[in-house]
Amino acid sequence: MTHSDHYIRVTGLDVSYDGFTPAVTDLNMDVAEGEFVAVLGPSGCGKSTLLHAISGVVPPQSGTIEIAGRPVGSGRGDGSVPIGYVLQEHRLLPWRTVAQNIAIVLRAAGVPDDEVDLRIDRYLNMLHISKFRDTWPLRLSGGQRQRVSIARALAVEPAVVLMDEPFSTLDEVTARVMRQQLAELWEESSQTIVFVTHSIREALFLAGRIFILTQGPARVFDTIEVPVSRPRRYEDPRLTELEAQIVEHVMDEWGYGATAGEDAQR
Amino acid sequence: MTTEQVAPLRQITGGRLQRVQAFAVASLLALAVWQLATLISGGWVPSLWRIMTALGEDATTANIYAEMWITLRRIFITFAAATAIGIGLGVAMGLNRRVMAFFRPIVVMGLAVPDVVYIIVAILVLGTEESSGLIAMVLALIPFVINIVVGGVGARDPGLDEMSAVYRLRRVRYLVDVVGWQVSPALIVATRTCFAFAWKLIVLVEALSQPRGIGAQIYYSFRLLRPDHMIARALLFIVILRLVEAIIFAPVEKKFLGWMQ
Amino acid sequence: MTRSPETTQNLRARLRASWLDLALGALGASFPIFLWWIGSHTTTFVPPIGDVLREIPGFVTGEDIWPDVLVTIERVAGSLAIALVLGFAAAYVMHRGGLWGRVADRYVGLMLGIPSTLAALLALYVFKRSEIGVYFVVSIITFPFVALTLLQGLRSADRRLDEMGDVYRLSTPQRLRHLAVPHLVPYTFAAIRNEYAHAWKVVVLAELFAVNSGMGARFARAFDRFRIVDAMLWLVIFMIILLGTEYLLLLPSERRVLRWRRSGMEGLR
Repeated sequence: MTHSDHYIRVTGLDVSYDGFTPAVTDLNMDVAEGEFVAVLGPSGCGKSTLLHAISGVVPPQSGTIEIAGRPVGSGRGDGSVPIGYVLQEHRLLPWRTVAQNIAIVLRAAGVPDDEVDLRIDRYLNMLHISKFRDTWPLRLSGGQRQRVSIARALAVEPAVVLMDEPFSTLDEVTARVMRQQLAELWEESSQTIVFVTHSIREALFLAGRIFILTQGPARVFDTIEVPVSRPRRYEDPRLTELEAQIVEHVMDEWGYGATAGEDAQR
Repeated sequence: MTTEQVAPLRQITGGRLQRVQAFAVASLLALAVWQLATLISGGWVPSLWRIMTALGEDATTANIYAEMWITLRRIFITFAAATAIGIGLGVAMGLNRRVMAFFRPIVVMGLAVPDVVYIIVAILVLGTEESSGLIAMVLALIPFVINIVVGGVGARDPGLDEMSAVYRLRRVRYLVDVVGWQVSPALIVATRTCFAFAWKLIVLVEALSQPRGIGAQIYYSFRLLRPDHMIARALLFIVILRLVEAIIFAPVEKKFLGWMQ
Repeated sequence: MTRSPETTQNLRARLRASWLDLALGALGASFPIFLWWIGSHTTTFVPPIGDVLREIPGFVTGEDIWPDVLVTIERVAGSLAIALVLGFAAAYVMHRGGLWGRVADRYVGLMLGIPSTLAALLALYVFKRSEIGVYFVVSIITFPFVALTLLQGLRSADRRLDEMGDVYRLSTPQRLRHLAVPHLVPYTFAAIRNEYAHAWKVVVLAELFAVNSGMGARFARAFDRFRIVDAMLWLVIFMIILLGTEYLLLLPSERRVLRWRRSGMEGLR
């Protein structure tokens, strides 16, 4: 068996912040190399925790997470695979320019000095923000900051890019443009992306496969292949139909069905 | 003491004209009250005229500048030592729970001990050397610096800590680029507070234990019942301190706080 | 869902860590005592801890110290009250802005820079050795800090709450009662707590220079006559009163008054 089908392997994952309230229990998922998967779940179900664990920021209580056949480490310079991470907030250093922000993570990833500038230029170009190269992040708009954050995540040429509702604080028009461009970017680069969202439409538009989680603590409730060829249109009626089916499908599980109240703890 | 907010709060708003106006009103009012106090106290509070004369006399003696230089040097030594130690310890406390657990009670007690006690104990243990007074001052100043720095480190954005962990930033880069810059406003406030307190304290140290320096001069004038000279010398030195602040602190602040616009 | 990595250890590790914290805290608290012990062994001036501890019962039950302790406490409380009133007035004027706001700002800035020693010496000239001098020194030195803390409260109150007052069309007294006062309470507490300790330190100094009564004067007298054990006893009493009132009186009452602030957030942890 090649590891490209099991590029990211999460097996029997348990995560808890305080030691007794579980945020993620017995979660299993596999992601193939170059795949774009979405993780869909209700607010507060533990989606973000899952990404935190995959990134190595939060250690699992039990279970394993492997990327490209190597376990995810948590320390600095422990030889674990590089990871790109884009969150709701941009998490840029406001006292560093756009280019410096990217340079800092590139150096941490061990990129040689003479290549740093080339990479910065390439990825800023890709995200259409070259002209903000030497601007401070606080002078940019929300959408522009998020572009910088994505450029930073891609620039380390990571094994996987984790995205945690990166467009949810943007206005709808900006968000649509960004989704469109993200889809194109992925098709060009075939970067492995795990995209967390609570928006079913967003998941359907972007992902090849969707992991639907249970209401917290998170487990995988179902996995859905999106049978719509690319390039997709956000308003595609097939997506609308699929959206309605998924809503129907998760209604009970997410606690809005006839048996609401007793199903969450099953 | 929450001097943390001194810097941002005391930004005087309004144009130059209004500032001059306010300065004039404040000065005139203060002078009037002073003159009134002179009348009431039956001459114990020196009149403005006497202070002006004393100021003129003191400003033209070369000796006073030698004394000022001695005091200024002491302020700088203690200030540098206290900020360096205080910032180092404060950052360590803010980042590490164990360091915090150990030093917290010491800092709380250190803040509570009266300055006089530091000075007297230092004199007892180390004698009346110049160094004993300086050590007492450094010890008295450190807790203030630590307090402000710890507050700044504690208020840092946990999101940026996570970012540093995700991208595996090295320790040094994390301390400089992520923590350092977030804490820099607090550091500036800490150094300013430390400088201001160093001046307040040196007067006491020199009055109690030193034969030379501006504090000793102030106390000397006091004992000779020459309040006019006492005030004149303090005023002269305050002017010098303001100059130092304007020359050294203002440009540094500008440089470090540029990114906040 | 943004929690810092520190909160992510499991429960057992956290319990162990909290014991460790306590132990380290105790170690830190005993560090000054350790210093004292070293001092008493290496110098002839510093009395052994045992000597001082043995003296405590007799010292505390003796009639002779309490008048001085009480008079100092009275001075601290009195001048702190004056400083609060002055500080509030200054903060209010500064907040209102305009010419007088800037004038007040000038004075606060000036007062911040006055060494307490200078103030105490001046007070001696003006008030001779009278009680008013101590009150004058302590309130003059502490009030600018009170003013700045309260000003900060007034400023932040404005931004957040005035809009709400506008939306619901509250009258000025209603605004004061329901918006300004509750908002200023934490700032007032912060001011009291910070300046309480500050006031103690200044009072000791003022008593040293300006009057013959109170703990500061007694402390200085003990040193002048080289009765180090007495001086140490005064220091111990001083620390006990200061830290005792801080932890047994100020901190609990602040927690009580401000409990509405933490109910929501802390419960989740």
